[in-house]
Amino acid sequence: MTIKSVDCQTVSKTFYDAVIVGSGVAGAIVAKQLSEQGKNVLILEAGTSRDLTLAGFQSYVETFYGAIAKHANSPYPLNLNALSPTDGLNSYFEEKGPMPLSGSYTRVTGGTTMHWQGTTLRMLPDDFKLRSKYGQGLDWPIEYTDLMPYYRKAEYEIGVSGNTKEQKELDIPFLPGYVFPMKELPPSYLDEQIREKIDGTTFDLDKETIKLKLSSFPQGRNSVPNPDYALYHGDVFVPSGVTSENPLEYGERCQGNASCVPICPVQAKYDARRTLGTIAFPDRVHLLSQAVASRVEIDPENGRVTAIHYKHYKDKNSPQYTIGTAKGRLFVLAANAIENAKLMLASELLSTSGLIGNNMMDHPFILTWALMPQVIGTMRGPLVTSGIGTFRKGKFRKQQSAFGIAIENSGWGWSGTGATDVLRDAVNRNRYGKDLRQELIDRISRQLLLAFMCELPADYSNRVTIDPQYKDRLGNYRPVIHFNISDYCKKTMADARKVSREIFKRLKAEDYTHYKNSDPAYFEYEGEGYWYRGGNHFSGTHVMGTSKHNSVVNKNLRSWDYENLYLVGSGSMPSIGTANTTLTIAALSFLASEQMLKDLNT
Amino acid sequence: MKSDRLKLITTIEDLRYYLIQGMKIEHATIPPYLTALYSLKPGSNLEAFHMIRPIVVEEMLHLTLAANVFNAVGGNIEGVFTNPEFVPRYPTKLPTGEEEFLVNVGKFSKQAVKTFLNIERSKEVTQDEPLVGSRVKEEFLLSIFGYDPTKSFSSIRLFYAEVIRGLYALHKEMGDALFCGDPQKQISREYYYNGAGDIIKVTDFDSAIRALTLIQEQGEGSRTEAIYDAEKKLCHYYRFEQLELGQYYVVDKNEPLNSDKPHCPTGKTFTVDWDAVYPVKENAKLNDYPKGSELYTAAQDFQKAYSKFLEEIEDSFNGNPEKLVLAVGGMFRLRDLANSLIRNPIPGMDGVNGAPIYRLD
Repeated sequence: MTIKSVDCQTVSKTFYDAVIVGSGVAGAIVAKQLSEQGKNVLILEAGTSRDLTLAGFQSYVETFYGAIAKHANSPYPLNLNALSPTDGLNSYFEEKGPMPLSGSYTRVTGGTTMHWQGTTLRMLPDDFKLRSKYGQGLDWPIEYTDLMPYYRKAEYEIGVSGNTKEQKELDIPFLPGYVFPMKELPPSYLDEQIREKIDGTTFDLDKETIKLKLSSFPQGRNSVPNPDYALYHGDVFVPSGVTSENPLEYGERCQGNASCVPICPVQAKYDARRTLGTIAFPDRVHLLSQAVASRVEIDPENGRVTAIHYKHYKDKNSPQYTIGTAKGRLFVLAANAIENAKLMLASELLSTSGLIGNNMMDHPFILTWALMPQVIGTMRGPLVTSGIGTFRKGKFRKQQSAFGIAIENSGWGWSGTGATDVLRDAVNRNRYGKDLRQELIDRISRQLLLAFMCELPADYSNRVTIDPQYKDRLGNYRPVIHFNISDYCKKTMADARKVSREIFKRLKAEDYTHYKNSDPAYFEYEGEGYWYRGGNHFSGTHVMGTSKHNSVVNKNLRSWDYENLYLVGSGSMPSIGTANTTLTIAALSFLASEQMLKDLNT
Repeated sequence: MKSDRLKLITTIEDLRYYLIQGMKIEHATIPPYLTALYSLKPGSNLEAFHMIRPIVVEEMLHLTLAANVFNAVGGNIEGVFTNPEFVPRYPTKLPTGEEEFLVNVGKFSKQAVKTFLNIERSKEVTQDEPLVGSRVKEEFLLSIFGYDPTKSFSSIRLFYAEVIRGLYALHKEMGDALFCGDPQKQISREYYYNGAGDIIKVTDFDSAIRALTLIQEQGEGSRTEAIYDAEKKLCHYYRFEQLELGQYYVVDKNEPLNSDKPHCPTGKTFTVDWDAVYPVKENAKLNDYPKGSELYTAAQDFQKAYSKFLEEIEDSFNGNPEKLVLAVGGMFRLRDLANSLIRNPIPGMDGVNGAPIYRLD
């Protein structure tokens, strides 16, 4: 049994304890937490919801297999009523520059976890104090230790595989005896080859000597349950797998299909449907899909939110829609940082701090690529098994941003010259049979790509706004984006390139990195040209803080200006360090749910 | 064959012998389930795919549990899985309640589902039947193993009931000396997992009983008139019955007694597409394929890989538990090899595709 799909009529006749906008990881966790304490909730989802059936998911897998361009949203059919931004491939974002934000998120049931990679790094304690310790960006109103118990809940909910010992070496504290629910994914052959040559070598960054050390990536992907988890949790973790409306009896382990982004064909990767599918009291959770929230209604008398207005479409291929309202006691916007901000701006909500939509952050990535001297089995395994985390911390953060390095198991694909391009090129040169096979081995199986994920601190002028001239087919606003990359971050991107040169040299790998100046994300720094790729980690658009003057929400993610409105998700994060945002979003969702329950029970 | 061996358990030797038979029984279900699973055309019959696959996984769980008990009581597993007779010759007979039936290795079909129901029903024991088969009334057969058909158990469940009885009697007699096996040979949960069922390390009487009870229950259920096992998961029999009825059962995990009653599912209905299946050769043998053809080679390759898989399993049960992960990983190769047979027609046989062969003769 899963949550109940309802129609507009049911919604209009029901008064909910909580109305949640968005069925991604944040909305799903809130729905689960509230319903398990007896609350009746509604989830409004802008996208379609066939995902919850076996056939629905399978059709996504097949759409992906059949797609010529394998991008983050290629499993999901184009939906003009609720467009998913896709690396500039559609005109959903109205980019005003000076630099492109690019990137993507997914507007279907399950949200962007329907295409996420599954990396579940915790933020470092220092990341929460970026302003006070390094004079950059913003501080959080809470500390790492406040979030620790919620990180553990998130790791349980998502089903994290990883190695706490390696994470502790990055100064991330864990409770004594705590391990992740499952053991780390085994490092790939490529990881081992790199570890051999790189581990223990050093690089000087801003007069600070950083030791290079590989560590496994914690990830929301089934591996082997860790028996020691029982010491902390009371029982060994039982991984869950395929989400279905009907009971299925197994959770599959990662098989290394290497299509993690966007879709794991065996559902070994967590996505938010898993949370929706394991809600203990599914009758208490209503889901209305194909309902795009368009306005938050306020009672001018008491300043409380009274309803969410939505536009419901029957057919994604038709612009026809009906308008409905969803009423309740509490309202939760969990529609992702950009959509949350957009919806609040469209509703002309009061903002004492004036910060709705501002401080927008992302993780720009610098990519570098090379050919290894030996065949290293590119395209096997999950996309990333190991990386170098030692640049995530350091005194250098006063001058330049921190970064994490991922060793990609999937070759050069992300750089724009992936396996398909190699194949096309070889076929165009009339290669066939054994020659073709050999050429592919030579040119693909030695591909190495390093991805440098850089911190970009909150900056007031990086923002999402709305403009009546930019609307989508249903008449909803499209996000207008103003985005730039600071020198603080550019300096690190340039240094990341230097680190890559050093690594390639030590590996005796042939450097093929080149940044075309025609690329929209091309920039120059100290005479050298680079481009970056968006990290899809949009955040900061409704930051949490210590007062209604410096932030949009309080430390429990409740709006300062509307006491029955919660803004859940990465939009509430004042900084994102060098951690992919999903795990922290999940942790914050648990934290906020506790406060919501308190509110609802008084 | 030693037709006198399936007497009731009186010595530790008897117990070990029984456990070897147990492993053979558990394994005998894998080729028919696996072949039916792989005969489904990709993307079709998702319900069937997602019902059969975990059952295969759980049959391997049972196999592993039986091996754990066997190792715990000091059995020597070397040569058990690698014995050519470990894989039955299909069609083969399996014991059932009242009458015998044949198990074929073939495509997914209504007939195959009937057979699967028979296989799982054969694990059944009704409440009014004595848990241990009467010494006089050892009527039915385990003829796949070459026994005297007058000296067998009427169901797999009764077979395990005798194992449990024997274990109990021997433990009373020998005490903990019964568990003289090397604990290093136990497969623990970290080497194996799936959503349902759990590996139990067997080191003493209690864990042995738990392991054997789990094997018993997963097939048919923890109690009569219930469709679920002790973990509140739908039993194999009823999972297969869903395919016959085209409807899901509903198990209420919070109020188990509110779950559906046997044979009366109330869940969602679905359509089984019996035609979206490759027409694979039933009970294929190597000489069904023209010598020198690609299918012949593929069949040989599959059989070799399957033997290797069994070898690796044996090795992992023999003190190298970490190798189980690799052996299971080897099943991807088995799947690919099986697909190359199943998706290609046999030359000269109109409309019949190849099928994997699990033993050479």
